[in-house]
Amino acid sequence: MITYAAAQPVITYTFQQAGSDLRQIAPIATVTVTLLVAILVDLVLPARRRGSVVAVISVIGLLVALGLAGLLWIQGGGHSAYFGFATGDNLALFFEMLFSVLGILTVIVSNAYVRRRDFLEAEFHVLTLAAVAGMMVLSAATSLVTIFLGLEVLSIALYVACGFARRDTTSQEAAAKYLLIGGFASAFVLYGMALVYGGAGSTRLTDIAQRIGPNDATNPLLILGVLLLGVGFAFKISGVPFHQWTPDVYQGAPLPVTAFMSVGTKAAAFAMIIRVFDYALPGLGAEWQALLALVAAGSMIVGNLLAIVQTSVKRLLAYSSIAQGGYMLVGVLAGGQRGIGAVLFYLFAYMFMNFGAFAMLTVLVTPEGEHDRLEDLHGLADRYPVLGVMMSIFMLSLAGFPPLVGFFGKLLLFIAGVETGWTWLVIIGVLTSVISVAYYLRVVYHVWTPHAEARQVDRAPGPLIAVGVSALLSVALGILPAVVQSAGFVGASPVAGR
Amino acid sequence: MLTALWLVPVAGGVLVGLLPRRWTRPLGLVTSLVALALAVAVAVLFQGGHSGYQFEEYVPWVRDYSISYHMGIDGISLWLVLLNALLTVIAILAAGDRVGRPRGFIALILMLEGGMAGVFLAADLLLFYFFWEAQLIPAYFLLWQWGESGREAGSVTQGPTPSAAATKFVLYTLVGSLLALVGVIGEYVYGGGGAHTFDLRTLAAHPPSEGIQFGLFFLFALAFAIKVPLFPFHGWLPDAYAVAPVALLVTFAGVMGKTGAYAMLRILIPLLPHPTLWWDWNAVMPVLAVLGIVWGALMALAQRDAKLLVAYSSVSHMGFIVLGIFAFNQQGQQGAVLQMVNHGVLIAALFLLVGWVAARTGTRDRTRMRYLAPGMPVFAGVFLVVTLAGLGLPTLNSFVGEFMTLLGAWQYAPALAVTGCLGLVLAPVYMLRLFQGLMYAGPGEQLPPPGAHGAEAGIVRADVASRELVLLLPLLVLMVLLGLYPYLLTQAMTSLGFPLPVPWR
Repeated sequence: MITYAAAQPVITYTFQQAGSDLRQIAPIATVTVTLLVAILVDLVLPARRRGSVVAVISVIGLLVALGLAGLLWIQGGGHSAYFGFATGDNLALFFEMLFSVLGILTVIVSNAYVRRRDFLEAEFHVLTLAAVAGMMVLSAATSLVTIFLGLEVLSIALYVACGFARRDTTSQEAAAKYLLIGGFASAFVLYGMALVYGGAGSTRLTDIAQRIGPNDATNPLLILGVLLLGVGFAFKISGVPFHQWTPDVYQGAPLPVTAFMSVGTKAAAFAMIIRVFDYALPGLGAEWQALLALVAAGSMIVGNLLAIVQTSVKRLLAYSSIAQGGYMLVGVLAGGQRGIGAVLFYLFAYMFMNFGAFAMLTVLVTPEGEHDRLEDLHGLADRYPVLGVMMSIFMLSLAGFPPLVGFFGKLLLFIAGVETGWTWLVIIGVLTSVISVAYYLRVVYHVWTPHAEARQVDRAPGPLIAVGVSALLSVALGILPAVVQSAGFVGASPVAGR
Repeated sequence: MLTALWLVPVAGGVLVGLLPRRWTRPLGLVTSLVALALAVAVAVLFQGGHSGYQFEEYVPWVRDYSISYHMGIDGISLWLVLLNALLTVIAILAAGDRVGRPRGFIALILMLEGGMAGVFLAADLLLFYFFWEAQLIPAYFLLWQWGESGREAGSVTQGPTPSAAATKFVLYTLVGSLLALVGVIGEYVYGGGGAHTFDLRTLAAHPPSEGIQFGLFFLFALAFAIKVPLFPFHGWLPDAYAVAPVALLVTFAGVMGKTGAYAMLRILIPLLPHPTLWWDWNAVMPVLAVLGIVWGALMALAQRDAKLLVAYSSVSHMGFIVLGIFAFNQQGQQGAVLQMVNHGVLIAALFLLVGWVAARTGTRDRTRMRYLAPGMPVFAGVFLVVTLAGLGLPTLNSFVGEFMTLLGAWQYAPALAVTGCLGLVLAPVYMLRLFQGLMYAGPGEQLPPPGAHGAEAGIVRADVASRELVLLLPLLVLMVLLGLYPYLLTQAMTSLGFPLPVPWR
């Protein structure tokens, strides 16, 4: 039986310490304040002008958060705060920057989208901000309690956002499905946390990391806890066999929401997995690695195979994202600076190529609804060659062709995998990548298929800017990957130096 | 300098794509000519006999993984870079106004040139792979968007659609090259004496253990064998060559296959010299090469479609190159490099000629074309020279390369050389049959009355225009020059970027 000496509670919290703590979570606080301001402004302004004003406020708030995170990053990263409940370390900062950029892109894209589909505008941006705040909390959380807090903030905002198309039954279906399955996943995570807490005697990750070693692998509480956590996490990153909700939810949810959650939820979940598994539970490495390796292999195989037969681009990208999650798990399994650094690089790369692809679909939206069948892409390149080239860039980057960023993403993940002996997973990854090329090229094929009556695209600048920036960065980071790659290494350092 | 060799075409390609259509042709031509001039300048300044890379460029690229942007040129890559630059000029000229949507076509063909030049110049394994994969994108789009199929294109059978052929090509190639990615990572982890580097020189100096080499060899060799293509991995080739427009084939067939053969010489041989575990891969490759020589020649014999005939003859000729490389001696490997250049020149000329005939007669079916010679005397003369080069007549270029590779193979294993000679025996059969069938009447056949040349195919009397002849002229000059004076190429070949297991002196 493990016994722990009762901790001596020493409650001295100085003003200075409070300031220092607040500095560590400054980006999160900024987004939260922006959120509150946005809600208040929404109440005051006339209905006609709410949407744009809230959008501008959101972008400004996220830019400030990005700046603050960047400032802390330049200063060399922060440290643990609030008695080990949250942190401002480089890993948190990396994710906070990522989520800020993602939030900005989402607001830019959705501003035109919600207007075109006649949604409630301001509320949409507020939900985005709430979800971003939740993701940031999750990435900065260093205690099981705060992790769960972040997870729920993020999830609840997204449940609502998924059902935002109120007259669209598929959107309602998506919301209901996501709520039910997400609730299940959260329950799994919570139960797992309870058991790990029972085994380790603390909710703080640093304590858990210190107290649990390989010898505790016989403790049934911990084994069951790790298993449940693993299942919950796999739900969140849509890993096989817990992936079934993904295509339905991705398809049903409004496009900006799909774009946002396909990147954001995944990144946040990976932040959580890295913190809990790679950082807090290396002692039980053999156990969670076996579990995640199976999930990784399954995701790569099932995701890539099922994507081939899809006729809806949204569903196709949903399956593709399942497979991409599988690739990233290889980096999590490899661990260490190179493994986690590779995951961080990939997430950054993934943000641009995946978000760009979804954002491209939003320009095809009409007041009647979305057009996401493969045939709806016909004539796109004929009529708008630049858009055709950009969509091809996203697809080829997701497929991992140089000189696009997806190539280096996969390369770094696979290097980490081979270096740590996960060669069999890498080979599965490589072979399934070949399969993936078949469906990514299918999208390219439809984009370049001529069609007499090509769709008129929405010429609102927002989505086009987001698409353009994503495409540009997909190429630029493919040619000069070192910037983000070394940032990924710095970001991985707080959890990898063990 | 070396960066310019690939960057000029790529940048030119992007510019062509962005600027208005009336700029397309002049800009494309100027870009390719500048690239050729640069390549010639490098060749002139190149110092034979020096060991080590020349014109080296080194910039760290991704420091944490010691990936570097390291370029260098040596006696092997020099000639392929030149070939690439020359054939691209010809391809752009040949595109002329025969190719629809010339803006995209020329932009992509320039990018393809840049990608292939990068493959030849890279002195870092990862950089090599980067270009290796990148060249696929323009190749795919060119094949798919500008491919032509069906009877309108003169094909004998309906054949695959361009989209199907292009997808087949990409998937075939990718199976190999993505496994090669594992190979690249494996070299990084296990090779180089634990240095964790992609530098080719270091990797060649410290190969991994033989068991690891065995595995890595498979991963790399599959990719290169598919690209060459080596028998039995040539399944994509007939479809791709059948749909590719002639202007594309000039570089697609003329240079792209050579990237595979070059990679064998640059990666497989020096980095993995002893790939032996359950069996010796080095003994398997030449056997496949010889099988390819014979199989390609036999398949060429069976073709009615002139374009496919040339395509299969290419499989046969590429077999000689691989045979020479895996003969493991100086004659064989230098012969292989010679043959790479020779074959590039030859196949480009052959495809151009076949394309012109098809454009004039409306068919590629060799049994439906005859008596063309009286109506097109100049064409007949040129075609004869190219045919003779293709069947390996001494004084023309192919003879030297094939002879050297066979000489090398004889020293390695006489049985291989003897079997390989079958290819030389069959080449005159299919080449001369093609030439005679198209140009002349059969024995005992009545000559048609004057003015009815090739009446069966409804041929117009249209000899090659001088514009077309200009395209062929450099190729013809090269055929004779390299046939008579191969020392021009071999003298520089002794200067290698890093020593091969076989001394080239």
